[in-house]
Order: sequence, then structure tokens, then C-alpha cells
Amino acid sequence: MDYRITQGPGLTEAALSGRLTFNDYEKMRLLMRDLGAAPARHVTLRLDGLEFVDSSGIGMLLIVKEEVEQKDKTLDVRGATGQVLRVLTVADLGKVLDLRP
Amino acid sequence: MHRLFTRRQDTQAAPPDQGPGATIVALPTTAPAPAPGEDPRDALLASWLGLAEVQGRSLSAWDQEVRRVNDMVEGKVVDLAASFRQLSTAARDQSARIEEIVHLAGQVELDGETAQVGDVVAGMSALLVDMVNNIIQLSKQGMSMVYVLDDVVRQVEEVEGAVGEIDEINRQTNFLALNAHIEAARAGVHGATFKVVAEEVRLLSKTTASLAERIRARVGAVASGVRKGHEVLRQIATTDLSPQLLAKERIDKTLAGLMDQNQRFQDVLAETAALSGRTAETISSVVTGMQFQDLSKQRLEAVLDSMAVLRAGLEDLSGRTRQARPALAPALPEGWPDRLFSQVKLTAVRENFARRLLEGSALDEIGALDPTATADDAGGDIELF
Repeated sequence: MDYRITQGPGLTEAALSGRLTFNDYEKMRLLMRDLGAAPARHVTLRLDGLEFVDSSGIGMLLIVKEEVEQKDKTLDVRGATGQVLRVLTVADLGKVLDLRP
Repeated sequence: MHRLFTRRQDTQAAPPDQGPGATIVALPTTAPAPAPGEDPRDALLASWLGLAEVQGRSLSAWDQEVRRVNDMVEGKVVDLAASFRQLSTAARDQSARIEEIVHLAGQVELDGETAQVGDVVAGMSALLVDMVNNIIQLSKQGMSMVYVLDDVVRQVEEVEGAVGEIDEINRQTNFLALNAHIEAARAGVHGATFKVVAEEVRLLSKTTASLAERIRARVGAVASGVRKGHEVLRQIATTDLSPQLLAKERIDKTLAGLMDQNQRFQDVLAETAALSGRTAETISSVVTGMQFQDLSKQRLEAVLDSMAVLRAGLEDLSGRTRQARPALAPALPEGWPDRLFSQVKLTAVRENFARRLLEGSALDEIGALDPTATADDAGGDIELF
């Protein structure tokens, strides 16, 4: 998995791409550190480029949400498609994550 | 015995051409011309007597036919009603059984208890939701533990590093203490105090070394345990449970499909049960409607009674006419028998009618009523001489 962070007025956007699996846990830790350090109050995770997420990936996304909120920021998740969208839907994560198209 | 017909010298010479299905060959049917000196009114009376005879025998024949029809209809209606009642009972039984199937189709037995299919499916869906939630929580907690243990491993490595530094410091301290001993010895008496201090420092260094060794051993054990735990947790966290998550999607669709099919099944069965019920009601209505037979029997009996009265009247008037004119012989009006026979299409009915009409008549005496004519079904004609 790879990620790219862009800063906008009041918004930090992190675009994930590739496959999100357990082996990406250290990269996700770096992402959490970078998002926590960003000045904007709102964070958007864009999953358009994410092809696959396994169960540990889901766990990591939930941890990202916790870490971001602990820094008094808000988070939404956008652009999930294919297998990623199916997993998020079956897991009913719309109740936990702010899922947007 | 009254003679139905008489032969007169002046009867028509040739039999009329009846065409296909002709039944009468030759009968003295025309009203006879009065004989010289005979009262013309006698000819008319003779015709009337002939007609009365025919009417009386016809009424008798139709009376028999109507009674036969009445009995036949009554018998068949009774049989039909019995059959329809059986059909109605069978339809009601079928309806009851189908309703039972509808009831059973909506239930299932689980662990000795009966539950509604809808409730079972809802329960299974709830279990699946719990399973998914547990998987999600497990994944999140697992990853949290990985991060925590990662931090612990890092801390342990730092502690191990710190212990290494202590060792180094201790080694240098020991070396300094040794040097101090040597300088104290060189200083002689003036270095006695310094020698004591140096000795204490050496002992302290020895103690510190021993402590650092114990710390190293403990930290090493902790580090080993943490690393093993970290490795086990990695193995657990690496296990991808997303197929199990997606299985819920498949199971949900399957359960929904089964529910739909079960509902359609129940709907069709319910419609069938209703149809059976309506069939039973319709059959009952048919049985009720067949009571027409009773009413028609009564009406026909009224007709028969009227016919009997007419017949009695004819017989009475014929008798009085014969008394008044003893010499008078009945003469059949022209064409009446063939007109009567030609109206009857059914062979058996026509034969019976002919027999009733002609038995005991003058034609019967001369063999006009041919009993062998009944065997022919092709045209059904009664061959009369």
C-alpha cells in the first residue's frame, strides 16, 4: 500500500492506493503520525486507488479514526469501490466510519 | 277389443312416398266416403273414433315414456348427487390438507422447539451480524496489540541498550578504581584514604556489574517473551478474515432468497386451498341445483295426471259414441300415424311407441307390427307392413 497526503484549507487529504494488508502496519503508523501532525481540523481518507483490504486493514482504518479523533479532528472516508466497498458494506462500517461516495 | 283401423274398398290405392326413414307402407288412413244411403255424419264420427283411439294409445305410450324418463332422471340425479357429495368432501379434505401444508411451511423444528421460519432467519441474520462485529473488533484489537507490542519491543531494546551502557560505564569505573588502587599504593601512607575510597568504588562497581547482569537477564527474558508474543500476534493478525466477512453477504442473499421462495410457496398453496374451498362450494351448489329433478318430477306428474284425465275423457266419449253407433268402426284420419312416428327420432322410443299404438289393432292382427324391425340400429326404422 502507498499513500500521498495533500493539504488544503482546513482539510488534509490522504489518498491510499494498492492493497492494504497486515504488512502495511508500519506505513499506516507513519500515516497516523502525519495526519496527527497536520494542521487542518478535518481529514479525508480517499480509497479510490485502493484495490483490496483485508480484515487487518479494516482494523487499521478503525485505529486511524481513533488516533485522528484523539487529536480533536474529524475524519471521513471516500471513494471506496469494488472489493473494498463490499467489505466496508458487509462489515456495516457506515455506522462507525463516515463513508461517502 | 276395438279395432283401430278398417279396410275400406275406397281407400287410397298406393302408399304415400315417405322418403328416407319411412315407417308406414300402407294404411287405410283416409276418411271413408259415406256408403250409399249412409249418414255422412257417421263418416265423421268414425274418423273421430279413430283419432280418439290413436290419441288414447298415444297418451298411454307417452305416459309410459314420461314415467320411464322420470325414473331414469331421478335415478341418475341421485347417483350424480352422491358422486358430487363425494367430490365436495374430497375437495374440502384437500383444502384442509393444503392449509396444513401452508401452516407447516412457515415453521421449522429446532432442538425440539417449533419456530417460525421468519424468526429463525432473523435469528441467523443477527448471529451473522454478531460474527461480523466480532471479526471487526478482533481485527482492530489485534492491530492495536501489534502496535502496542511493537512499542514494547522498542522499549525493551532501549532498556537492553541502556544495560549495555551501564556495563560500559561499570567497566570504566572498575578500570578507574584499579588505577586509583595503583596510585594509592604509589602514594604510600599518604594514599591510604584514597586507597579505601578506591576499594569502595571497586566494590560498588562489582555490585553494579552484578546488578546490571541481573537486569540484563530479566530484560532478556522479558524481551524474549515479548518477541514471541509479538510473533504470535503477527500470525494472528496476518490471518485475513475478509472472506468470512464477505460470506455474510452470500448467506444474507441466500436466506433472503429462501424466505422469498417460501413465501411464494405459501402464497401459491394458500391460493390452491382457496380454490379447493371454492370448488367444494360450487359442487355443493350443483348438488343443491340438482334438486330441480324433484320439481321437474312434480311438474311431469302433473302433466301425467292431466294426460290421464284426457285419456279417461276420450275413453268415456268413445264408449258413448260406440254405444250410440254400435255398427260404427273407427277410421284413422289420414297421415296421422306416419306423422306421429316421424316426430320420434330415438329408435327405442319409436319402437315402443309403435308397439303401444298398434298392439291389439287390426294392423297387429295382420302382422303389420314386425317385431324383427327393432334389431336394426342403422336407420332405426320400424318396418310396418
